[in-house]
Amino acid sequence: MKNPYIPYEVKILDARYETPGDRCIKTFKVTFADEKVWDTWSHLPGQCAMVGIPGVGESMFCISSSPTEKGYLRFSIMKMGKNTTALHELEAGDSFYVRGPLGNNFPLEEWKGKNIITIGGGIGQAPLRPVIQWIRDNREDYGELTVIYGARTSADHCFKDEFEELNSCGDACCHLAIDVEEEGWPHFVGFVPQLLMEVSPSPENAIAVTCGPPIMIKFVLQNLEKLGFTPDQVYTTLENRMKCGIGKCGRCNVGHLYVCKDGPVFSYAQIKDIPEAFA
Amino acid sequence: MVEVEKLREIAREVISRDDVRQLIGYRQGTYGFRARPAFITSPEEVDQLIFSPACVNNLATYLTLEEKLPVPRGQEPDLRKVAVMVKGCDSRALVQQMEEKAYERDRIVVLGIPCTGVVDMDKVEERFPNVLSRGEIALEGDKFILSFDGRREEVPKEELLADKCKRCRYPTPLVYDQLLDQEVARFADDDYSDIVELEKRSAEEKWAYWEEKFSRCIRCYSCRNVCPMCYCEDCVLDRLNPQWMRRSVDLSENTAYHIARAYHLAGRCIQCGECQRVCPVEIPLMELNRKFYKDVEELYDYEPGTDAEAPPLLATFKVDDREDFIL
Amino acid sequence: MAAKKLSKEKVQEALQELTKFRLIAPAKSDEVVIFKQITDPGEAFLDYGNSTVPPKKVVFPQTETLFRFQRGNPELREKNVEEEGTTVIFGLRPCDARAMSIVDRLFSWDFEDPYYLKRRELTTLVGLACNEPPSINCFCTSLGGSPFGKEGLDILLTDMGDHYLVQALTEKGEKLQDILSAHLEDAPAEEEKKAEEMAAQAEGKIARSINTEGIPEKLPTLWEHELWKKASAACLGCGICTFLCPTCHCFDIQDEVEEMGEGRRARMWDSCMFSEYTLHASGHNPRPTRRERTRNRISHKYSYYPKRFEVIACVGCGRCINLCPVNIDILEILEQVVDAS
Repeated sequence: MKNPYIPYEVKILDARYETPGDRCIKTFKVTFADEKVWDTWSHLPGQCAMVGIPGVGESMFCISSSPTEKGYLRFSIMKMGKNTTALHELEAGDSFYVRGPLGNNFPLEEWKGKNIITIGGGIGQAPLRPVIQWIRDNREDYGELTVIYGARTSADHCFKDEFEELNSCGDACCHLAIDVEEEGWPHFVGFVPQLLMEVSPSPENAIAVTCGPPIMIKFVLQNLEKLGFTPDQVYTTLENRMKCGIGKCGRCNVGHLYVCKDGPVFSYAQIKDIPEAFA
Repeated sequence: MVEVEKLREIAREVISRDDVRQLIGYRQGTYGFRARPAFITSPEEVDQLIFSPACVNNLATYLTLEEKLPVPRGQEPDLRKVAVMVKGCDSRALVQQMEEKAYERDRIVVLGIPCTGVVDMDKVEERFPNVLSRGEIALEGDKFILSFDGRREEVPKEELLADKCKRCRYPTPLVYDQLLDQEVARFADDDYSDIVELEKRSAEEKWAYWEEKFSRCIRCYSCRNVCPMCYCEDCVLDRLNPQWMRRSVDLSENTAYHIARAYHLAGRCIQCGECQRVCPVEIPLMELNRKFYKDVEELYDYEPGTDAEAPPLLATFKVDDREDFIL
Repeated sequence: MAAKKLSKEKVQEALQELTKFRLIAPAKSDEVVIFKQITDPGEAFLDYGNSTVPPKKVVFPQTETLFRFQRGNPELREKNVEEEGTTVIFGLRPCDARAMSIVDRLFSWDFEDPYYLKRRELTTLVGLACNEPPSINCFCTSLGGSPFGKEGLDILLTDMGDHYLVQALTEKGEKLQDILSAHLEDAPAEEEKKAEEMAAQAEGKIARSINTEGIPEKLPTLWEHELWKKASAACLGCGICTFLCPTCHCFDIQDEVEEMGEGRRARMWDSCMFSEYTLHASGHNPRPTRRERTRNRISHKYSYYPKRFEVIACVGCGRCINLCPVNIDILEILEQVVDAS
């Protein structure tokens, strides 16, 4: 069995900034330096990988591309601390290292035939993007796709070009929001939970998936309940500080669940009675 | 000897006050002769408080250890005082903490305990091993009286007394709101004779000595956490960005850790000896700290933890400060 | 396999035989008993209670290299644990061996941890039964262990006075016993029976206990109970309880850069009681105070671990009780859990 602590080298095909500012987000499109790795690599939306640079460290990020996007992996990384600052220095042609795929995936098989609503905030859209992409690439298998996404300002929206494309192609219905009024913004102004109530999706044969800041998740969950969604119709991802990513080092536990092994994807039913999930 | 009833009466009166949030004292441990910290918030809990030669912990460390959480919106911060019981050596920690402006004098209520010495619990447990039921230690004259399992054993004081007490200069607390007993006159002094002996060793001997000790260190950080003077929120030994100390445990990093910490305590360590007591692998940390203590006294005629109004040593400059040791 | 006997006069030569392997035995460093590699059999100190630092550090070193790297070279050089060679831990207590079996379950769960598991494979455990419980705070019998426990051991030695009774328990144990055959004789008849009687006596001397039934299920229901605040009030947030615990296994992973662009990714013991254990890069900490961390530690050992691996992650060695500087007592906390409504 391969040593799960040894990462693969990846080469950056493309690196670009999604958002500006102190906590800017950079998206990397990478491929394995050793092409043969693709033969054994398989991941599903929701799964993550440890991304890092030897000499600096590793951090866990969701794989922001669907396996239906062939030949590359995408990571969208927000600049926050030592590791992410070092990663932000890298450009196309450089390398870093990836360990994965780790964690569990969204149960897309079970979701076949259902209407999917994704509700994202800020960088929380990164784990939702592969879900959207997977549905687009397997369109007949799924019902309606509703995408609700908000950020603080229009500049803080990730994947801006993809949203325009998404709305016009007819695969999905997109609803965008920003927190505060901005000149020239044609869409909703307000927080994501409020936009959710505006859109008011039906819980009939539907699954809601949400990722974003904890405060947003809290109100989104409340609002989904108001709209009639049951806990097992709602999915989210949890995060915690992680080191090994493979269930050994002990630190990522939320109650009895290890975020790196039992998660990061959880249904609300699984975690609603675990107080630590909302700490 | 502190009378327990009087101690509890005073404690009851203090914790009943509206402006006191918590009282930190001592209570009986869970087995044998051990005593442990007590944190009481109501008069009903006062009856668990004790004081005896088994009360070895320095409670002053809790004043800087308690986490300061952000106050939830709409709530006011709890500005009530904390009452703490301190022996002579512990009180010096309070003085030094106030000298460094860790908190203002009016935030604490100090119940001072003039101390005739505490035991070295390792020596007690070696002398009377495997005592499970709760035992008590008292001092009568120059003998410790140990009561346990229906027995009453008398042991000459110096056989069980903690080493630090044999050198104690300040048995009566230097700061207090109330004294729980009559003052105790100084009964010992520190002539640094053991440090002078260590200083005489050659460099090779010193390295070999400390290599044996530091190789045992498991970097549990108990020495740092128990120390009342180690309260930096962002300890240099924890920082990752930039990283000053590796987390890996080997002779090199362990040596760096202990020497760095000893330097950070120079002119600040008040000689409570807790670091050495808590070390699970028996590293003689006080030898490092006392070497600095001796140097500071000789070079600058300064003893930390004795004058709350004095400026901290290393924040002070005098024109006639000795410089001959600076290369 | 028939039991053997090792005369105490022959212990030195038997140990000498074992020095051809990596022989780890209890030894003294000043007055502290530690497990270390010995090359001189005279260093072994078998007349001991229990070590401060458990022998878990032999199969799960406090610090170890995962791989090495060199700037400019994309290849990562994995640490090869095989190089450490066959290891014998001689004279460990049954609780410490049982603890390794408990921790094995995690290190082989789903992903196999090659470093730990390879070391376990290369290590033979020769245990020494406790004729007397080493400490007043031992409570191994409450958790399914025993002073004469065989679980996890390859060989069990019992001190019968002028000799040790030697019982091989596994294939590894039998192999080692064969290697030592020149120094062993057949054990007298009835000796194993006598050892069983000694075991019962030793178990009878265990002074402290806790009834663990129902604790794993009850702990999550006590999440907001006030007992956690009281239990953790004196806690210093140090790592003594976790580092000295034979079943604790949490670790940190850090990269270290040495000279000339060389470096390594290493892992080292970490403690869930340290304040920065779950500190996020954003500054958020889901366990900001000692109360949350104490609650998590006890819950992990007595509820989360048994939920997943069907065994409580505690062997009752008592080190945490003996060495906690502020006398935080896990048995007292568990009694409060049992009594709590």
